[in-house]
Amino acid sequence: MNTLSRRHFLKLAGASAALAATPSILRAQSATSNGRVVVVGGGFGGATVAKYLRLWGGANAPQVTLVDANLKHVSCILSNMVLDNTRSLSSITFGYDNLQTKYGVKFVQGKATSFDNVKKLLKLANGTTLAYDHLVLSPGIDFKPIPGLNFSKIPHAWQAGPQTTLLQQQLQQFMSSSSPGNVIITAPLAPIRCPIGPYERACTVADMIKRKGKPGSKVILLDANPGIMAEVNTFTTAFNKTFAGIIDYRPSVQVASVDSDRRIVQTTTGSEFQASVLNVIPAHLAGAIVRTNGLVPDLTAANWGAPVNPLNYESTVSGMSGVHIIGDSQGTGMSKGGHVANGEAKVCADAILRMLKGEALDMGPTVPAACFNSVTSTTGSWLSTLFAYDPVTKSMIKVKAPDNPTGTFEAPAATGDNYERIFDWSANLFADTFA
Amino acid sequence: MISRHHSMFTVLSIASLALATPFATQAAPPPGRLLASQCAQCHGTNGRSVSGIDSLAGESAREIYDEMREMKNKTDHPDDIMHHIAAAYTDQQLWLIAQYFSTIPK
Ligand SMILES: Cc1cc2nc3c(=O)[nH]c(=O)nc-3n(C[C@H](O)[C@H](O)[C@H](O)COP(=O)(O)OP(=O)(O)OC[C@H]3O[C@@H](n4cnc5c(N)ncnc54)[C@H](O)[C@@H]3O)c2cc1C
Repeated sequence: MNTLSRRHFLKLAGASAALAATPSILRAQSATSNGRVVVVGGGFGGATVAKYLRLWGGANAPQVTLVDANLKHVSCILSNMVLDNTRSLSSITFGYDNLQTKYGVKFVQGKATSFDNVKKLLKLANGTTLAYDHLVLSPGIDFKPIPGLNFSKIPHAWQAGPQTTLLQQQLQQFMSSSSPGNVIITAPLAPIRCPIGPYERACTVADMIKRKGKPGSKVILLDANPGIMAEVNTFTTAFNKTFAGIIDYRPSVQVASVDSDRRIVQTTTGSEFQASVLNVIPAHLAGAIVRTNGLVPDLTAANWGAPVNPLNYESTVSGMSGVHIIGDSQGTGMSKGGHVANGEAKVCADAILRMLKGEALDMGPTVPAACFNSVTSTTGSWLSTLFAYDPVTKSMIKVKAPDNPTGTFEAPAATGDNYERIFDWSANLFADTFA
Repeated sequence: MISRHHSMFTVLSIASLALATPFATQAAPPPGRLLASQCAQCHGTNGRSVSGIDSLAGESAREIYDEMREMKNKTDHPDDIMHHIAAAYTDQQLWLIAQYFSTIPK
């Protein structure tokens, strides 16, 4: 032990001895005198904000309580690779042990149902209440209902976990049968989490069909949007060349209803499509805790996210000061991804620490959106955007460059190197969020 | 060339001034910390990578800065994601990021 760390150790030992001598009520107060932050949702946004509040707060860190409905989070990132058994579900499942032991986050399993922002109390379904100074909500998404759609028969696999396993099993059964058939995937209108996700998934399934050699079988991708929404060059090449004759891409097709027993999609123009395997991804809504507590003033808006100030992710709805929304449920207009949610969480953590100390906010936050995805089982591509705060419009805008006029750049080609990079990137993103 | 050196010098002196401020009064977060944290999604928390991607922690600020400037200006490599990321930051932001990682032990 060198002198510095030894001195540090002695200081710590002294501090805990002093703490042990304090009466318990005082101790409880001193633990919360730096503020209490309650975080709902332990996915990419919530786990990251909890970790960074404690990491950056140092000796003055607020008490942080993380609430999730489940004991572990199953990552959507890499979950398309579970469908063709490239990855196991357990390899993308993360508990909260690190956050508790390494950073001192308190974890509570439970479903948050509502909150009272006057009394500053969050309520859980089991009757527990949690007091907060700042409340951070990162509940991910909910789905708009579709008549006839039953997720226990027709999986969305758009929240990873049992739904991913169900779709994987249905695909496995389809692949092992000798008769040809169609796998139908329906993609909803933007904005959605992971804008490239439906296209990547179509490629994953097409690749399974191509590798197995299952003549006459196809992937039909019914896209509610008028065209490919992200990585246009990559997926145009994939649909027209790499998977020519296997992927049948149909833009501007909207789902009206579903017959879940017969695996039939009815479209808004009256067409019907019958599938061997049907994967309906419905249009999104903000998570219930955000949507049903007044944080989304217009529940019919195309941008279904909660309006927030991108300097601290605090709700802009009156009476909602100290309530922050990050991740897919916020409505800044930045693309929705785990990479982005992790980035927003750091801006939010930095801002809350400043707010607790009465300091000014950082006026120049940036949030990167990057995505590394597969195209075949050996090739991949990527997409990159940097969002930066624009003081004029008070919003996050894409940073453009002479050789990147839109502010979003996609890999020029699907390559093996890009495929390998998916795992290097995700390992660090997972660790930055959960470890 | 001259103006580039000049602006580099200005940035350097501002940054070292900021660093010279004692930590006393509940110091505001170190400049560059929030910017640098946005590299962690790929380069690991505090620039300590757990995968094949480079770690950034503990490298010299000058080295990180020069490398990012080189990637930023290398327009003949559209297949390098770091070209596009570096190009989206101002030189001053790149310097703050480099400075922050240089203060993190490896
Ligand atoms: C197939 C697929 C592939 C994807 N690939 C990528 C990718 O390659 N790159 C990328 O950046 N993004 C990707 N994404 C998107 C990414 O998964 C999401 O954008 C990201 O998870 C959003 O983070 P979040 O914190 O908002 O929500 P989530 O990560 O979904 O976390 C929400 C958490 O909140 C909990 N929760 C919700 N409501 C409550 C409540 N009331 N009480 C308690 N707990 C609650 C849930 O249990 C869950 O754990 C992909 C998504 C899909 C579907």
